[in-house]
Amino acid sequence: MLQNELFNNVMQDFNTGYWQLLKDPYRENWSDKFYEVLGYSKEDVKPNFDYFISKLIHEEDVALFRDNFLNYRNNNTNFKQHIKIRNKNGQYLFFRCATNDELPVNIKAGIQFLFFFETNIEPDRTIKKDNFYYKETAQMTSTGSWYVDFQKRKSYWDFETYRILEYPEDYKPSLKDSADYYAEDHRQLAADCFFNCAMMGTPFNTEIKMVTANKREFWARAIGKPIYNEGKEIIGIRGVFQDIDEIKRKEISLQKSVDIIAAQNSRLFNFAHIVSHNLRSHTSNLSLLVQLIEDIEDPKEKEGLIKEVKTISDNLNTTIEHLNEVVTIQTNNKQERVVVYFNEALKLVVNGISHMISNSNCQIRPDFTEVEQIDYIPAYLESILLNLITNAIKYKHPERDPVIVIKTYNENGNAYLKVSDNGRGIDLTLFKDKVFGMYKTFHYNKDAVGIGLFMTKNQVESLDGTITVDSEVNEGTTFTIKF
Amino acid sequence: MGDKIGIACIIDDDSVYVNLVKRIIEAKHLCKNLLVFENGKEALSYFEAILSNMDEENLPEIIFLDLNMPVMDGWQFLEQFCGIKNKFGKVITLYIVSSSINPVDINKAKGIKGVKDYLIKPITIEDLEGIFNASA
Repeated sequence: MLQNELFNNVMQDFNTGYWQLLKDPYRENWSDKFYEVLGYSKEDVKPNFDYFISKLIHEEDVALFRDNFLNYRNNNTNFKQHIKIRNKNGQYLFFRCATNDELPVNIKAGIQFLFFFETNIEPDRTIKKDNFYYKETAQMTSTGSWYVDFQKRKSYWDFETYRILEYPEDYKPSLKDSADYYAEDHRQLAADCFFNCAMMGTPFNTEIKMVTANKREFWARAIGKPIYNEGKEIIGIRGVFQDIDEIKRKEISLQKSVDIIAAQNSRLFNFAHIVSHNLRSHTSNLSLLVQLIEDIEDPKEKEGLIKEVKTISDNLNTTIEHLNEVVTIQTNNKQERVVVYFNEALKLVVNGISHMISNSNCQIRPDFTEVEQIDYIPAYLESILLNLITNAIKYKHPERDPVIVIKTYNENGNAYLKVSDNGRGIDLTLFKDKVFGMYKTFHYNKDAVGIGLFMTKNQVESLDGTITVDSEVNEGTTFTIKF
Repeated sequence: MGDKIGIACIIDDDSVYVNLVKRIIEAKHLCKNLLVFENGKEALSYFEAILSNMDEENLPEIIFLDLNMPVMDGWQFLEQFCGIKNKFGKVITLYIVSSSINPVDINKAKGIKGVKDYLIKPITIEDLEGIFNASA
């Protein structure tokens, strides 16, 4: 009841005629005030939309009012419009017509209203002025209007649409060419918007990549709504294209920055976690050792325990050195990139571990024909190759000599490096999340430290690349680096 | 205090930590025998062997399990171990002993039925004595 009271108060304050749009049964309730303002009694008129359109509203206002009203009815698209309505004496009165938007409070949200505010302004007199403002607005906001007429099978553009799409003014826009107005990967979106609008009367408002006559791609906001005829059928779509290229590009670049910052933040968090965890294991050992030393009486045994301090101290040092290496990577990314040739970097690495390679009968098969060089930090590329090659040798299959295939290639404008071996492989169902973790080892090798791949990943990522792994147990492992 | 517990078991890859605990157990005579495994997989193989050989006298009464280990970590071990532990006639008390102070780990561990408690390293000698006495 409170809502009703509130509603009644609002209506009283408005002191205006209104329609209440009902869905079931599908009709409009005209308020008493609406009759009163126009001087009609309930017997004089038929209170429905069709009667209103044909008898009461001025013919100049019919088309726009019909579109607005049906769009409001079907899609809840609010509108404001000046209209002229004939009163009982045959004179036209001016009204400002408005929808739920106008309500000061959100009451009866489920029910649609249409208000008719009396006004003295004759909109006709301002048309010239309006036209001037329209042109100014269109130009200043780079917003072009257009209309697609389904009956005449014709499209119409205003001057601004021609300008932003860079077509000459004698160009005849047509539905047949319409795919050309959109970037290839956005044609489906455009087709869906127009189809749904034409078939279901669904208005659209979307960001879309368009193409000008000069094949220049730009971001636009496309807004469209259906146009209805007397029979309430959709006969066309009217809308605007706004050039939002600058804003959209800024948004995209901002999003990129956000992604980079998020990635860096996550690396930093990860690093903090590693630091805390790795140092904790040593400090807790130290603390346990101290307790034991205090607890034990026998001086000889005590002395033996003190020697343990050295072991812990050495371990701590090793950990700190590893952490230092990670920090160096994180701060090195400001280092300048230079042109590095893959075959030269590989030669350096192979020379450095020639002993290991010949001892293991390892074959390395490089193919850098597709991408021969890259802008990179040379030390990183060498370290990456070194880690992946030594890993492949260390974890070779016990029954065959290691063969390492190294290949570079281009995909979607990105350079890739792929290093595949025929080693014993990693069980990724068990270790997927851990391959690149610090101090994670998956094999029973005693010399496995679990630092190499962690470093490689850090180096790759510090230069905005990614590294992925693919592996099958007993078949081999493939690392793919996207630069 | 005498040896109240027969066999205890440590699953941990940190050899320094394992040696220290070993010494404490010896010095305090907390148990007769101590089993040590470097990772979950070694420990699991041991338990599976016991299950197939039915020699339950070699089962530990108490397990101290680390989380962060190579090859098979503590979580993976727990998953497998919880599947077979009800087949043993003996009650085995399992403690997680980890240097992880991550609340996600702690809550996850406390949500697992077979886990008696989550101990954060460093543990103290008193803690160890308390646990052995309580389990005896």
